[in-house]
Amino acid sequence: MSVRRVGALLGKELAHGPRNFMFVFAILVPLVLTVVLSLLFGNLLSGKPKLGVVDQGASRLVALAEEVDSILVRTYDSTDALRGAVRAGAVDMGVVLPGTFDDVVMRGDLAQLTAYVWGESLLKDRIVLGSAIASLVRKVAGQDAPVEIVTATVGDGESVPWDRRIVPFVVLMAIILGGSMIPATSLVDEKVKRTLTALTITPASAGEVFLAKGLVGFIISVFVGIFTLVLNQSFGTKPGLLVLIMVMSAMLAAAFGVLLGVVMKDINTLFATIKGTGILIYAPAILYLFPGIPDWVGRIFPTFYMVDPVVEVTQRGGGWAEVTPELAILAVLIAAMMGLVMVVSRRRQMVPA
Amino acid sequence: MNGRIIGSLVFKDLVLYFKNRFFAFITILGLVFYILIYTLMPSSVDETLDLAFYAPTLPPVLQDELVTEGVDIARLDSEEALKQAVIDGDYPVGIVLPEDLMPTLAAGGRGQIRVYFNADFPEDLEDSYTILMEEVGYALSGRELNLDVTEEVLGIDRAGEQVPERDRMRPLFAVFLLMVETLGLASLISSEIVGGTIQALLVTPMTVTGLFAAKGIMGVGLAFAQGVIVMAATGGLATNAGIILLALFLGSLLVAGVAFLIASVANDLMSVMGYGIIIMLALTVPALGVLIPGAMSDWVRVVPSFYLVDTVHQVANLGASWGDVAGNMAILLAFSAVIAALGVFALKRRFQ
Repeated sequence: MSVRRVGALLGKELAHGPRNFMFVFAILVPLVLTVVLSLLFGNLLSGKPKLGVVDQGASRLVALAEEVDSILVRTYDSTDALRGAVRAGAVDMGVVLPGTFDDVVMRGDLAQLTAYVWGESLLKDRIVLGSAIASLVRKVAGQDAPVEIVTATVGDGESVPWDRRIVPFVVLMAIILGGSMIPATSLVDEKVKRTLTALTITPASAGEVFLAKGLVGFIISVFVGIFTLVLNQSFGTKPGLLVLIMVMSAMLAAAFGVLLGVVMKDINTLFATIKGTGILIYAPAILYLFPGIPDWVGRIFPTFYMVDPVVEVTQRGGGWAEVTPELAILAVLIAAMMGLVMVVSRRRQMVPA
Repeated sequence: MNGRIIGSLVFKDLVLYFKNRFFAFITILGLVFYILIYTLMPSSVDETLDLAFYAPTLPPVLQDELVTEGVDIARLDSEEALKQAVIDGDYPVGIVLPEDLMPTLAAGGRGQIRVYFNADFPEDLEDSYTILMEEVGYALSGRELNLDVTEEVLGIDRAGEQVPERDRMRPLFAVFLLMVETLGLASLISSEIVGGTIQALLVTPMTVTGLFAAKGIMGVGLAFAQGVIVMAATGGLATNAGIILLALFLGSLLVAGVAFLIASVANDLMSVMGYGIIIMLALTVPALGVLIPGAMSDWVRVVPSFYLVDTVHQVANLGASWGDVAGNMAILLAFSAVIAALGVFALKRRFQ
């Protein structure tokens, strides 16, 4: 094993990488996904009912509605626009406030309100919006509630908002795309183009080629993984520990990528494998979306030991002590995967297709 | 174009495909996972508010009003039992109406209602319950709101019979399955290009059109068969199966055309993936509109897969008939025919 040759191969991979689709894909997808998901879970999938308002005057109700945490408010210029939004499901309910609405309410006269309800809106959303509108009208009228509501939180659970639940998925995708897909596609591509044969008749050994390919995936994986954590505002707590987790996760992903590249004879088979096994790889992150599912289910999957330490550190406030058992298992998995790569590549004698 | 030659080529490709046990296994595994995801997801939509009450005397006006509005009320025997039920997760929210509430309100005083939230209840949704309880307070004190609301439901009122999320995912499954086969078909053609077998085939009586017709039949057939299996297993063919089958077939034709177009510009397998993934993402966008209603504006109608997705959603989830989706089908047919023709034309230009 020559460090110089591995370095030369690595340099070549990094220099030519940006021209490779998978290279760009592995870097861009987690970043784009982070932005898209933050938009989606920030508003669209928040679980809050959406109220559309057309204010034909200057009602205080709109400003008061925007202060209510449990509903989302969107304003529209015309009744037609509001009706279109309700019909499309952009809002669950829409109300048109006449120009004199506040005056009528404050005088205590009977106020008229037109409410459009989206046919597919949930009953509970209609209830929440209905009571919110009633409450807002009472506030505009200056009424004081006849009851004081005293709230208390019981139990020791934790509410995990969707934008946080999705972080493990995005981080795992960053690690797998960079760590596994880059070496795998690169190796298969070289096999198909027969440049791998050309490489192995140079002084470079098969092991050096694999190591160089794996290192590219490893570097991209660590870089994109950390960048994804930063983008998701999850890197601030214990950066040293998180870097270690990223490094170990990227090692396992890169070893898996090299294994795929060694075993798969063409790109069709490679993508068929990814298609079929993708759900197994991402299962722990998908399970994390549903906190009610028991923890042991996720532990069946090897990628759990990449995801769980990230969740432990970034969301549960854990430290070295809490993640050490999972990292120990991850280390065993890395060793096993590397051993498997060596055995398989020796058996196949790295014969290109 | 010779039908016998095309048939032979399709047969050879299919035999080769299924001779590869690994490839066949992975394809079946993919189908199993789609069906598994569907099966594991909730089959109904819980659209009622579950409230647990402890109230020594639960005023009838409260029970009548909330139950008719779609709130499930459970009564517990004590405040401690209520708190424990909330802690155990039996109810997300527990409400205590103290014994002195009604007398206090009747005397014109200000009463108190205690609300317990489970710790995993989203904090920013808590005020929906406090607002609801304030309104309960107004109702109990007899202070009616001087408001006349005219309500109009837009679209079919599905209160009580909502479409479950897993059924909303069926159009997404259809598009994914078809698009993944697009990548497969484009890769197949591309591998023929890279391997040089296309030129070899073209010196036989096989024509360029015949060659790609054979590849198209294979790709469309595989995509269509997988789409039908997933739809059948997820109940998507339960009503108006003929419409769904035709829509899937037109969708398969569309993606075969897309595959031809990709193969006509791609130079190697990786560029197939490059073009393919971008197009796949674009064609998936309309399916997200079904999953997240209101997230898309009308521009999404320029994406051809919209007419496949919308048809599957309308028919499988909302019970639409031929008449309801005739427009969709006509546009999907036009898109499919044009794109398939463009694909064949582009490939012919490249190889002749």
